[in-house]
Amino acid sequence: MTPLTASRARPARASRRRFSVTSPPWLFAAPALVVYAVVVLYPAVSGVVYAFTDWSGIGEDMSFVGLAQFRTLLGDEQAMGSIGNTLLLTVTIVVVQNAVGLLLALGVHARLKSRALLRVVFFAPVVVSPVMVAFLWKYIYNPDPSSGLNGLLGLRVDWLGDPSVALWSIAGMVVWQYAGYSMVIFLAGLEGVAPELHEAAMIDGAGTWQRFRYVTWPLLAPAVTINVMLSTIGGLKLFDQVFAATNGGPGYATETLSTVLYKQAFVFGKYGYSTAIALVLALFVAAVSLVQVYYFRNREVAA
Amino acid sequence: MTDLLHDARVSRGQFLRMMGGLAAAAFATACSTRPQTSTPSGGGQATTELKFIGVSDQKAPMDQLVAAYQKAKPSVRITASYAPTDQVQTSVRTQLGAGNAPDLHVVYPGSGSAMSMSQIAEAGLLADLSAQAWTRSIPEGFKPAFQLDGKTYIHSAGSSVIGAVYNKKAFEQAGVEAPPTTWSEFLSVCDRLKKAGLVPIALGAQTPWVTQLITYALVPSTVYAKDPTFDDKQLAGQTSFAQSGWREAMEMYLELQKRGFFNDNPNGTTFEQQTSMVATGKAAMAVQVSAVLPDFRKAASSPDDLSMFPLPGAGDAASVWIPAGVVVGLGAAAKGANVEEAKAFIDFLGKQENINAWAKAIAAIPLVQDASSTIDPAVESFLPFTKDRAVPFMDQRWPNAEVQPVHFAVIQELLAGESTIDEALRKMDEAYQK
Repeated sequence: MTPLTASRARPARASRRRFSVTSPPWLFAAPALVVYAVVVLYPAVSGVVYAFTDWSGIGEDMSFVGLAQFRTLLGDEQAMGSIGNTLLLTVTIVVVQNAVGLLLALGVHARLKSRALLRVVFFAPVVVSPVMVAFLWKYIYNPDPSSGLNGLLGLRVDWLGDPSVALWSIAGMVVWQYAGYSMVIFLAGLEGVAPELHEAAMIDGAGTWQRFRYVTWPLLAPAVTINVMLSTIGGLKLFDQVFAATNGGPGYATETLSTVLYKQAFVFGKYGYSTAIALVLALFVAAVSLVQVYYFRNREVAA
Repeated sequence: MTDLLHDARVSRGQFLRMMGGLAAAAFATACSTRPQTSTPSGGGQATTELKFIGVSDQKAPMDQLVAAYQKAKPSVRITASYAPTDQVQTSVRTQLGAGNAPDLHVVYPGSGSAMSMSQIAEAGLLADLSAQAWTRSIPEGFKPAFQLDGKTYIHSAGSSVIGAVYNKKAFEQAGVEAPPTTWSEFLSVCDRLKKAGLVPIALGAQTPWVTQLITYALVPSTVYAKDPTFDDKQLAGQTSFAQSGWREAMEMYLELQKRGFFNDNPNGTTFEQQTSMVATGKAAMAVQVSAVLPDFRKAASSPDDLSMFPLPGAGDAASVWIPAGVVVGLGAAAKGANVEEAKAFIDFLGKQENINAWAKAIAAIPLVQDASSTIDPAVESFLPFTKDRAVPFMDQRWPNAEVQPVHFAVIQELLAGESTIDEALRKMDEAYQK
């Protein structure tokens, strides 16, 4: 409670001057920052210590093992295999989800009568919990030729049970759920493209494709940056959907870095090792995001 | 992010103020909820509240016995919550690690899982129950499941068996009169069921724990019947999965698949689908643990059509052994505020009539039996084995929690045709040695 009282007790004159000129004092953010620090930052940082121990997750038996956990990770064929799966999933999700999201956004941006309704429909899956989506899709992915997706398409695919298909089935499920999310962000970007630019381009004789390529697309760059970054982060730390749909199986075919670190901590009782994997994952996600932001920011243009 | 904010026409100032307000509200709510452990009851007498977290399989017997305890001892109130195994494993382990475990919680017998008696007791987090009277009648063969270094840390009401749950109507339809008693008879029964247009064995291998049941049902005959001390030798490093009858059991498992005795796509089929296939008579049987008989019965229109028989894993009926494992139980947290009250409840569960009631609710064989014990008719055919031809579920003696999940994964790989038995056994041996 201290930060609140502190900000209220602060002499009004000094801060009001700054407030009226540019922006409010950062102190207003203090309560949120304190909660964030206590609930997110502190536990995360204090957890890092365990990556250098052999703690089992329970009890007081623990010794420091230095970098041994990280060396184990390098030689762990299951964890390494899961990195491959994670990257494949991420690339697929980033490309397909954003492509579908962009198409949907362009579609519902047009002057359709039902566009408000369609926007809601396409966005609806986003608000459903990922675990629920996975359970629903387990019915859709029923291997029985007469039910679910097989029945609809007349196929005989074992969607989640065939190791060579399962990973793609999960990607499909994720894209179905989050394409609407990308759509909304692209839509916000599309709304920001001034109609005069399109008019000018039309006068210059540009067709639909040319207007998209040379007017809309460059101005969508900020939306692309955000979408690519969010879907990359989402893909790299994908857990719920995999856990609920296949639990990493069949065999190890859909194991991601997140399911491996979950299993190490809660199924195998290797908390230290699991923290080491989590640390590597966190650093990797941070690095990829930074590189992406840097790269995409450079190609953003002002309208 | 700033671009987004500008587009949404919220200035940074507005945003920060919003966040500040939100945080303050959250903070205030968090401060106002205080955990209440002891509240005075109407009679002016203090009520102790005990918290129990268990797995879904424990709900039926616990609901019944918690209500009975409430009558016997009104000053103690037990609040119980249940969740599927995976979730309980996550949440209870986290609570144990953080030092705020519930007073009573689910514990798995033996040593082979992260929530098993030995692993939690070794960390000093389970209360010692050895002083309670019921612990003195734990049968000798079950002691490794209940005890660590001679002290009892878990209560369990009895044992369940793994065998074939079968639909009598389906067997009649195929003209099969009596359940098979040898492996070759079993294969020919499957053949007849298949010719009658039925799926002989429903297999829901997408649900990880279901994958292990056929191997578990076979290894008592292929491993332990030949060498009852296999576990001890394996622990001492004198033998391994690859060098034992585990190989034969896996070959038999895959033979069932090669002959087309399973449903299509077992890796894409779940436990629930498996259950309904047998309950509706689409499939004739499923190799399952007797504790889930109630699930099969619930899914069937006429529950009496379902029964069980031991899966014969040997060529001659006399060398067939069966798996009979201690069912999932519970323990008391050693460091809770109400350890004595929690232990008192477990003592209550240890009374003969309560052991009987628990066992009855989950179709288990009671830990100790008296005249009033009832045994589910479906598992009666297993009783002749329980004396000297039964072994605990394999994982109860495995040294770590990794072997079992590896077993799940390699079976799925074998069913998918993506691995070989050599490879599978090698991975299991590696996990065992970790």
